Parts: sequence; structure tokens; C-alpha cells
Amino acid sequence: MEDAQRRRTWLALTGPYALFLLFLLLVPFANVAVYSLHPYSPTKVFLPELTFANYLKIFDVYYLRLFGRTLRLGLITMAVCIVLGYPLAYFLARSRPRMQALCLFLLIMPLMVSAVIRVFGWIVILGRKGLVNQALLVFGLDPVRLLYNETAVVIGLVNVFIPFMVLPIMASIERIPPSLEEAAQNLGANWAQMFRRTILPLSVPGLLSGCLLVYSLSISAFVTPALLGNSRDRMVGQQVYDEVLVSFNWPSASSLALTLIALTGVLMFCALLATRRASRREAAS
Amino acid sequence: MSRRVELEVRDLTKRYSPLVSVGPISFEVHEGEFFSLLGPSGCGKTTTLRCIAGFETLSGGSIRVGGERLDDKPPHRRDVGLVFQNYALFPHLTVFDNVAFGLRLRRMSKVDIAERVDRILQLVDLARMTTRIPAQLSGGQQQRVAIARSLVLEPRILMFDEPLSNLDFKLRLQMREELRNLQRRLGKTSIYVTHDQTEALALSDRIAVLSQGRIEQIGTPEEIYERPTSAFVAEFIGSSNMLPVRIVERGSDLTLVETEGGLRLLCLAAGEATFDGAADIAALIRPERVHVEAPGGAAAPRENRVAARIADVTYLGEDLLLGLELNGGDRLRAAMKNANASRRLAAGQYIEIVIAAADLRLLRR
Repeated sequence: MEDAQRRRTWLALTGPYALFLLFLLLVPFANVAVYSLHPYSPTKVFLPELTFANYLKIFDVYYLRLFGRTLRLGLITMAVCIVLGYPLAYFLARSRPRMQALCLFLLIMPLMVSAVIRVFGWIVILGRKGLVNQALLVFGLDPVRLLYNETAVVIGLVNVFIPFMVLPIMASIERIPPSLEEAAQNLGANWAQMFRRTILPLSVPGLLSGCLLVYSLSISAFVTPALLGNSRDRMVGQQVYDEVLVSFNWPSASSLALTLIALTGVLMFCALLATRRASRREAAS
Repeated sequence: MSRRVELEVRDLTKRYSPLVSVGPISFEVHEGEFFSLLGPSGCGKTTTLRCIAGFETLSGGSIRVGGERLDDKPPHRRDVGLVFQNYALFPHLTVFDNVAFGLRLRRMSKVDIAERVDRILQLVDLARMTTRIPAQLSGGQQQRVAIARSLVLEPRILMFDEPLSNLDFKLRLQMREELRNLQRRLGKTSIYVTHDQTEALALSDRIAVLSQGRIEQIGTPEEIYERPTSAFVAEFIGSSNMLPVRIVERGSDLTLVETEGGLRLLCLAAGEATFDGAADIAALIRPERVHVEAPGGAAAPRENRVAARIADVTYLGEDLLLGLELNGGDRLRAAMKNANASRRLAAGQYIEIVIAAADLRLLRR
């Protein structure tokens, strides 16, 4: 009786969102999976027979380079986020609650602005007659091309996704008592040695989940690369968009999207394994 | 004490804000001495310790170890071991690696490290725990790892920040014994911070009692307990009766005082303090120095004998605590060993108490 009661409660609590997910995520997802297994037809969207051609096509040089570029930009974005975000996370974790709240607000602000407006801001700054180039002219330097290339895309992606790197790292550093830092120094470690032997290994779980988030968000980004990059050196997201809305090749777009999801899934799995290993060492009891 | 001065703290001050400050504090710790900083929370004892360790910068004064200035060195060059209150063991490292942490930083050979870690772990009785991580150890074991981790570096001074406060009562007593034996055996100059007077009395060669950022008194446990120089020390260490009194007559070695209730008591003249014209004097009587006797006895010379009524009895098993009402309305607490209570004492009984003049101590309130 009680079990049935509890099951009903759980169902009432999770049911609405489960239904929402079922109809707005899982069903379209299955639909996409079905599309990806049929050949393209310019007139009927797709033909009834089954084929793997859409996936085999990804091994063409064009698509391999597309995926290679996407993964590379994801890696670069992730690396820049680590370099810029880790010190910030340490600072935030060790600052007073008030300072922390203020800085967190500033950090998260880019996420509260619409993607298009944020990107437009970067266009104003990086453009041919943008702030950066105006400044270069003042110092008598030649203007540089900053917009519509990979640099611009990475700058844009780092700007949006850096909170996803900072927050998990900050959370894991906050759990390290400051007395550990003092103990290390008391035992003869200078700051760098202290950091390498205590803070860094103990923050690995946060670092890993930050990397995972930033990487998977970056490789599936669409708006930022579409507006800040150029159309020849595009990322997977743009290609999918074009094939869905411009060339109407839905089967091909579906296979690209699913491949990207599969890549992200594999990555996530590896990172989770690594986190598990790291945290098991930390708290094996 | 003619031993060499190992640590000299001179006029140490630390200002956090115009209102919150510690010091000036001055004291010396001799070679091999076990020195305690004792006081309530917020008295500045931990600040003093953190200044010596280098985690706080001084606002004024100096710290010297073996005559050499310590306060301008960074924390990692001070050669002063600190055992933290929460132990601060590295959770991701094994017992062995925790203890080897400092040795590795000193670029010692692997063989030397292993040998020294093994030796020190043997000393603290953890030789079989080397591969465990801190989460797999009991509180007492973690404590010993923390001590071993500092001790293995052979620091000039070993400092403890309330090291026993996270342990339960029985373990605390046991660790206290172990700590004392270890320190006596190694003869390591030690500074021990605590708010627990029993710990300080049991462990220390000398104690500095702190209150509101100042040192109230420095002395051996016996001096601090038997001859407190201020009401704060008297009340902080042990339990005490403080009776406000005024001086009636001063003799060559005896002083006659009168309590607010009109009771006249003899006490040995407090040699070191003159109370000329002072209005705020109190007589300190330790509860265990109040002897309960049957009514009808005569006072011996240099003794006070006073009639009293038992107001309440608190039974503590080993001890009995009596609340007494004296003639004239003054109240006193008396403590006695249960074994010495010759007959059943109950509230409402009339008795007499005897207090030796030597056990009455006059203090400024």
C-alpha cells in the first residue's frame, strides 16, 4: 500500500516533465534517428529504403575536416577557459561571501544576455572599424582582421562558456579547507609547491566537469560561430543548420547531428570515468 | 629556569581594526619547555600562534627563535611545526605520503625519506597504517599522523592549536598522556594553545594565561593555580569563591578582612600586592580548601572557623559539591572527595567550615 502511495507521489512529481521530455525531446530525437537512416530525396524529403550512406559520407574529406575543425575549436575554447578560468575560480573560492556574490554576478552576466546581442557586441568590438582597430590606429599600427575567423569564434565561445568552467572548479576548491594550504606551507612548501601538491589534485573533479561542460557546449555551438566565423571554416552546428534550412537535406543533417551527440556522449563517459577514479582516491572509506 | 631561551616574543601586536587587536604580548619559551597559551576564545592565543607560524603578519613587535629574527621570513621557511586543530591532513595522500610531504620538499633521497617516515610512524604507533588515507583513520590516529608529519621534519619548535578539542572525552585523556610522554621523551620545545585549563595544567611546564589580547599571568601550573595574580586568572583556572572584602587590619604577616556579610576572616598578608585604599578587593578561596567539620570545634591559630548551613548538595560521584550559606548571608561553594565525606551531608544541616589563613588569597577584583 505504502509503496503504491509513494510511487504515485513520485509519478505526480516527475510525470509532467517526463511527458514534456518524451514529446518534445525523445520523439523528435527518434524521428531524427529515422531520417538519418534514409536516403535524401529533393522532392519527398526522404525515400523509404534504409541506408547507412548518410553516416558513411561523414568519412569524406569535407566532413572529416568539418568535424576536425569543430573538435579542435572545442579543445582550444576549453583550454582558454582553463587558463583564464582556473585562477578566477581560485580567487572566487577564497574571497569573502560579498565579493564572491558580486563577482559571480559579473561572471554569469553574459549568460543573461541574448546570444545575438552578445555576439553583436563582439562584432562592434572586433570589427574592421571596431574598438580594437580604432585603438591600433591611434597608436599608428595597422588594423588587423579579427572578425569572421576562428579567433573571433574562440573569443565569443570563451565569453559565454567560461562560467561553466569557473563554477565547478570554484565549488571543488571551496571544499578544500584553507588550513590545508597553511599546513603545506608550514611543512616547507612555497606557494607554487603548495598549489601543485594540494589544491590542484584536490580540484581535479571540478576541473574535469568544467572541461566536459565547456567542451560539449562549444562543439555544439551555433549562433556564435555562425555570426563571428566565416562560412567556409564552419562548425558542425552551422552545417546542420544549412542542411536543414537551406538545402533541405534532412537525412544528412540528422546523421551529422547524431554523430555529434555520439561524440559528446563518448567524451562525457570518459570524463565521468576519470572523475570517478579521482574522487574514489579522495574518499575511499 | 636557567635553560637557553629558544623563542622570544617581544611586544607582539596584531591589529585587525581600531577596535579589535591583540597584544602587546611578550614571553619567552626555553629550550625543551612545554609552554601553554591558555585563555577563553577570542583572547588572542590562536592569533599569537599564527603570528609565530607566519600566517599573520605582525603589526608590531618581534619574534626570535634562537636569537634569530623569525617574523620577516615567509611561513615555509620558519622551521616551526604546527599541528592544526582539525589536523589538516591531505585527504588525497596516504599516511606515508602525508608524513613524507615535507621531506620530499627538502629533496631527500627516497631511501632516507622511507627510513625517517618509518621511524616516526613507529614512534606514534602507526607503523601498520602507512597505506591508509586519512578518511580511514580514527580521530586519534589522524591526530598522531598530524603530529608525526610535523615531527619528522625535526622543527626547532612544535606548536599545537587546540589539538585535542575534536576528540571525545576518553580519547582526549589518553591523547593528553601520549602527548606529554612524547614531548618529555623528545624534549622538543613546544607551544600549546588551549582553552581547557585541565589540559594546560596537566601538560605544561609553564602557562601564559591570556585575556582580551593581553597576558594576565605567566607561571608554572602550580603558581597559576595556587597564586593567581588577578581575579581573571583565579576564576578562569579551576573553580573559585570570590568574596568581596575590605581590609580591617594589617598585621606583620596576617591581614584581617571583613566580608559584605560582616564576617571577619584572617588571611596571610599578600606580600606582593599592597591594597592601600583599594575598594575593590576580593578574597579567593578554592572550593576544595573549604573543610567541612561538625559544629562545636575551636579554631586553631591561623585558621578561620565559621558556622554555615548547607543550602544544597550536588552529587558528582567522585566528588561532592556543597553550596553553603554563612552566618551573615555570604555564600560559598565547597568541594570534597566523596571518600572523605564522613557522614551523609544533606541540605539544611548546620555545620562549621574551616579555612586556613594560607588558603585565603586577596586579589583586586
